[in-house]
Amino acid sequence: MKVDLSFKGVTGRAIADRRLKTAIDRTTMTAETKRRLALMDYPQFEAARARGTAIKDHVVANLDHYLEEFERNAVASGAVVHWAATAEEACGIVVGLCRQAGARHVTRAKSMLGEEIGLPHALEAADIERVETDLAEHIIQLAKEAPSHIVWPALHKTREEVAELFRVAHGRPQDSEDVPAMVESARRQLRSLFLGADVGISGANFLLADTGGVCTVTNEGNAELTTTPPRMHIVTAGIEKLVPSLPHAYALLRLLVRSATGADITQYTTFHTGPKRAGDRDGPEEFHIVLVDNGRSRMLATGLRDMLRCIRCGACMNHCVVYRQIGGHAYGATYPGPMGAVLTPALEGVEKTRDLPHACTLNGRCQEVCPVGIPLPTLLRGWRDTSWKEGLVPGSVRAGLWAWRFVAERPRLYRLATAAAVRAMRLFGRRGWIAGMPGAGGWTDYRDLPAPAGRTFMEQLRDRKTGR
Amino acid sequence: MSARDTILGMLRAALGPHRPDRAAIAAEAAALLADPALIRPALAAEDPVEAFAARVVSPKVNATLDRIGALAGLPAAVGRYLAAQGLAPEITVQPDPVLRALDWTGFAVRETALPDEAVALGRARWGIAETGSLVFESGPETAVLNHFLPLHHLVAVAAGDILPYLEDHAAVMGAAPRNLNLITGASGTTDIEGSYVRGAHGPRFLHILLIGP
Ligand code: SF4
Repeated sequence: MKVDLSFKGVTGRAIADRRLKTAIDRTTMTAETKRRLALMDYPQFEAARARGTAIKDHVVANLDHYLEEFERNAVASGAVVHWAATAEEACGIVVGLCRQAGARHVTRAKSMLGEEIGLPHALEAADIERVETDLAEHIIQLAKEAPSHIVWPALHKTREEVAELFRVAHGRPQDSEDVPAMVESARRQLRSLFLGADVGISGANFLLADTGGVCTVTNEGNAELTTTPPRMHIVTAGIEKLVPSLPHAYALLRLLVRSATGADITQYTTFHTGPKRAGDRDGPEEFHIVLVDNGRSRMLATGLRDMLRCIRCGACMNHCVVYRQIGGHAYGATYPGPMGAVLTPALEGVEKTRDLPHACTLNGRCQEVCPVGIPLPTLLRGWRDTSWKEGLVPGSVRAGLWAWRFVAERPRLYRLATAAAVRAMRLFGRRGWIAGMPGAGGWTDYRDLPAPAGRTFMEQLRDRKTGR
Repeated sequence: MSARDTILGMLRAALGPHRPDRAAIAAEAAALLADPALIRPALAAEDPVEAFAARVVSPKVNATLDRIGALAGLPAAVGRYLAAQGLAPEITVQPDPVLRALDWTGFAVRETALPDEAVALGRARWGIAETGSLVFESGPETAVLNHFLPLHHLVAVAAGDILPYLEDHAAVMGAAPRNLNLITGASGTTDIEGSYVRGAHGPRFLHILLIGP
């Protein structure tokens, strides 16, 4: 049987997958509730959001300045700073550094940027054994899958599936009813791998311009166990991660963590500044930071400046009606949900990804919850506009819209047409609902359509005005 | 052209020719930190030490707390914890002069945490009342792995070192240490079906020993 790989085909299968829906609901609904409770204890959220937005806008408006300041201070702390304009360049730099370190195995702490640039594949292609240390990333590495959420990459996996993956990979029986025991199994499995790694790779939540420091946040503590024991620590970070200084990072941290998990702060928040120093008890001898552009400077030039504020909290997808129906994989890209539907066309080109900005109801929930006030619906509409202007919209849709426009621009014709339409539609109605009608299958196959009132709004208004 | 030049060139082209100078950028960055009271949550109590104490035992942090009057009482308090948990009196003590100066008679004491360490004791440089965080600065007397390898992480912090807010920490911190670790509770994960489990990779238990009146 031929599998339909179009966006429609993929989402159709995702919607039919009840198990997936349950898995998505479990995590996103908890996240939604916990965020709401966290904000009840933080009435300062609106003010903090305005401040966070202003901080990120300030950084983006002076990004060249802050990148240079960061580089200067990072180098002064003993770090080596690399620049990568593209994903390929970034992967090339990381693989080159691993080879230079004679690395056989590397540990990696979850980083969405690493996924974006295809680092897992690049390391595999270079025959470097990679151990994912974030528990969710460990699960999807074993399952040979991609993340389906930016905060909970394995959100689509049930505990039964995890138990089976661990049974094979850890070589120990697992009880899917005992989640703590499964976590313990992963802890045992990964502990020696942490300590035996040659290189540790992490991402960055913030880059501090005034010290050259790199901030990582985790709840598991895997980032520190990844970056402390090996000889070399490599950071891959998007250029938009900069902040002027530590207190700016703290202000954003309050927004990030509450929006992501509903906690007030992550269990482990670490600022890494340079390599091991004289007398230090542990830490990497070499500290490398790869600053990655991969389309970000182009976003700044092409009306997507607001998106560069994104702090990757995941709140927009947790609150998205579409994401919650189809899950992350259906988006077919590293970043799913509303932020993904804006970012993916920027990263991969709108020709291949034009379905994503269209898979949105524009209900505006994402913008409401976004801790840095990104106007996601407006940006999505921007992509729809681009896709129309570039002639990417299918001919049938274009023809339909042209026809509608033709009628809509002629008020008398429009009134005539709508009056005829509401009367025709009533013929298909039963007790106020239409269960089926020629040309309406796209709607009525799944639910009934309310039958319209007997006369159009304009007709009723006219009657009212003339007092009939 | 190097990637660096390409990136900076693209940014400058996008940002246009009229740009603020260094002083203006610095002034704007400083202005973004004005009125911190507007953007931070209320403390659990007026007194930062009490707020910290309330915070760390709340479900948000989920640590255990023992308040001891004076530093000299620390070994006995550690002994009590180990006995209550049924653990042998064998611990790693961070090579911090303050901790080392105490009388550890009756304990087998190590300097460096084992790969599979059961108990490690450390001393936090600061505590933060807002979040219940313990702040460590890596260095010759503070190994980073000391906070991450043990199953039971015991942390001493002086009441005099409790700061009200995150910003207060930024204000008192000197030069950036190699690693600045803010630790708030034990290691946890919600990666399997969203259920919360403690002791993911780091410690499963965090026990705080708050020293001072
Ligand atoms: S767009 Fe906003 S809500 Fe979505 S991940 Fe980014 S910061 Fe969070």
